[in-house]
Amino acid sequence: MKKLLEFKDVSYFYQTKESEVKALDNISFFIKEKDFSSLVGPSGCGKTTILSLTAGLLVPSNGEIKLDNQPIAQNDSRIGYMFQRDHLFEWRTIWQNIILGLEVQKKHKDTQKLELAENLLKKYDLYNFKNKKPRQLSGGMRQRVALIRTLVLEPALLLLDEPFSALDFQTRLKVCDDVYEIIKSEQKTALLVTHDISEAISMSDKIVILTKRPAIVKETLELNLSGNTPLQKREDKDFGKYFEKIWRNLC
Amino acid sequence: MLKKEKTINYSKARQNYLKRLKKDKILVLFWQIAIFVIFLGIWQLFADTGVVDPFFFSSPSRIVSTILDLAHQNNLWIHIWTSLYETLIGFILATLIGFLLAIILWWSEKLRKIFEPYLIILNSLPKIALGPMIIFWVGSGTSATIVMCILICVIITTISMLNAFISCDHDKILLMKSMHANKMQIFFKLILPNAIPEFVSVLKINVGMSWVGTIMGEYLSSKAGLGYLINYGSQILKLDIVMASITLLCILAAGMYFLVSPLEKRYKK
Ligand SMILES: Nc1ncnc2c1ncn2[C@@H]1O[C@H](COP(=O)(O)OP(=O)(O)OP(=O)(O)O)[C@@H](O)[C@H]1O
Ligand SMILES: [Mg+2]
Repeated sequence: MKKLLEFKDVSYFYQTKESEVKALDNISFFIKEKDFSSLVGPSGCGKTTILSLTAGLLVPSNGEIKLDNQPIAQNDSRIGYMFQRDHLFEWRTIWQNIILGLEVQKKHKDTQKLELAENLLKKYDLYNFKNKKPRQLSGGMRQRVALIRTLVLEPALLLLDEPFSALDFQTRLKVCDDVYEIIKSEQKTALLVTHDISEAISMSDKIVILTKRPAIVKETLELNLSGNTPLQKREDKDFGKYFEKIWRNLC
Repeated sequence: MLKKEKTINYSKARQNYLKRLKKDKILVLFWQIAIFVIFLGIWQLFADTGVVDPFFFSSPSRIVSTILDLAHQNNLWIHIWTSLYETLIGFILATLIGFLLAIILWWSEKLRKIFEPYLIILNSLPKIALGPMIIFWVGSGTSATIVMCILICVIITTISMLNAFISCDHDKILLMKSMHANKMQIFFKLILPNAIPEFVSVLKINVGMSWVGTIMGEYLSSKAGLGYLINYGSQILKLDIVMASITLLCILAAGMYFLVSPLEKRYKK
C-alpha cells in the first residue's frame, strides 16, 4: 500500500526566553494508507510535537513533511486531530458539538455532510443523545462524540494524542475497541500517540518507537496479530513478545 | 398533566426526599421573613419606648411617613428617577466599554502587555479621588455622576472579562485551530461563550458598584437623586430623610440585582 504520511529528516526547535529546546532531531518515518500506526516513546520525547507538525499547528525548523506525496499546507483539511481530553463545548449540545468543525469550515449547510454526521451518530449509538449536553454523557461516550466530531470533516489522516488516557481502565478497554472499530470501518488512516504499550500493540499495524528527547526513530515494528478487535488481539500468543521488545527499547 | 403522572411513579424514598426539600425551603423563607419583621418590630418598639433616640435612629413608621411626605411634595419621583437613570446609564456604558476594551486587549497580545501596568494602577486607584477633576471636566450634576459610575465599574469589568477570555483552555484553542478556525471564529465560537458565566458575575458586581458610583457622584455635586437627598437630610439634621432614602436605595439596588440574577441560574453551572 502507498505511503500516506512521510517525515523526511524533520527537526523542530521550541524557542523560549531561557533557551532553545530541540524536540525533534532529523526524524524520518512513514505510515501507510489505511494502517493504524502508533508512536511510543518516553515522556516528553516529542510525540505531541510530531502530531502538531503534522496538523500544521507548528512548522518544521528543518526537513519536510509530506501527505500523499505533497507537502502539507498550513490549513490542511486532510487531517483530523483528536486530543487527550474530549474538549466538548459544554454550552453546545452533542449535535452542535459534532458540527462545530463544519461550521468553522462553512460546510454546515452541506446536506451530504450533515447526513454523514447523523449516520455516524446513529451507527455509534449516540443518536438519542443528539440534543443532550456533554455533561449528561459518560466519559466513553464523550470520547466517541469527539471522534465523530473529527470524522465528519472526512480527514484522510486521523491524529490521536493519548485519547484514552483520561479514562479509567475498564472504560478505556471498551473505548479502545469502539474507536478501533469506528476507524477501521470508516477505512481511515490513524496515527496514535500513547504511553500504554499494550494499547499500542493491541491497536496497531505498525509501531514507531522513539528515543528520548530529541526524538529520533529507534525502531519500527510491523505487527500482525490475529483478532478483529484490540481485545481479541490481546489474546494473541505473540502479544507478550512484542510487549517485551518495546519495553526493553524504552528503557 | 405529565407532571402529575410523574409524581405518582416516584418511589417512597423519593417522595420523602422531595417533601423534605420543600419543607426546608418553606422553613428558610419563613425565617427570612421572620427576621425582617422581628427586626422592624424591635426597632419600632425601642424607638417608641425611648430606648434609642428616634431623632438619630429613626423608626420604621417614621421612615414610611417620611417617604409618603416626600412623595406628596412631589419631588421624590424626581430623586428616584435621577438616581435610577444615572445608575442604569453608568452600568450599561461601563459594562459595554469594559467589555470592548477586554476584547481589544485579548485580540492583541502586544497591547495587552503594554497596558497591563496601567490597568493595575487604575484598578488600585480609589476612583473617588478623581471626583473634583470630574467636575472640572464634565461639569457638575448628572454627567459627573455617570462618569463616576463608569470609572468605578469599567476597569474591574475589563480586568475580569480579560481574565475570563485568557483563561480559556489552550488545548481548546488548538482544537479550533486544527479545524482551521480563524481568530474571529475562535472568539465567537469558543472564547466568548466560554466567558459567559464570568460575564454574569461581572454584571452582578457592577449592579452594586454602579450604585456606589451614583451615590458617590451625587454626594460630590448634584441637585437631585437619592445621594443628594441623603446629603441634604444630614445637613438639615433630618435623619428621617436620610434613613428613608437609604431604604429606597436598598429597594432599588435589590430590584436591579434580582433582574440580573435569573441570568446566573441560566448560565452558571
Ligand atoms: N511550547 C513549548 N515551548 C518549549 N518547549 C516545549 C513546548 N512544548 C513542548 N516543549 C518541550 O519539547 C519536548 C517535547 O514535547 P512534547 O509535548 O512533544 O512531548 P511528548 O512526547 O508529547 O510528551 P508527553 O509524553 O509528556 O505527552 C518536551 O521536552 C517539552 O518540554
Ligand atoms: Mg504529549
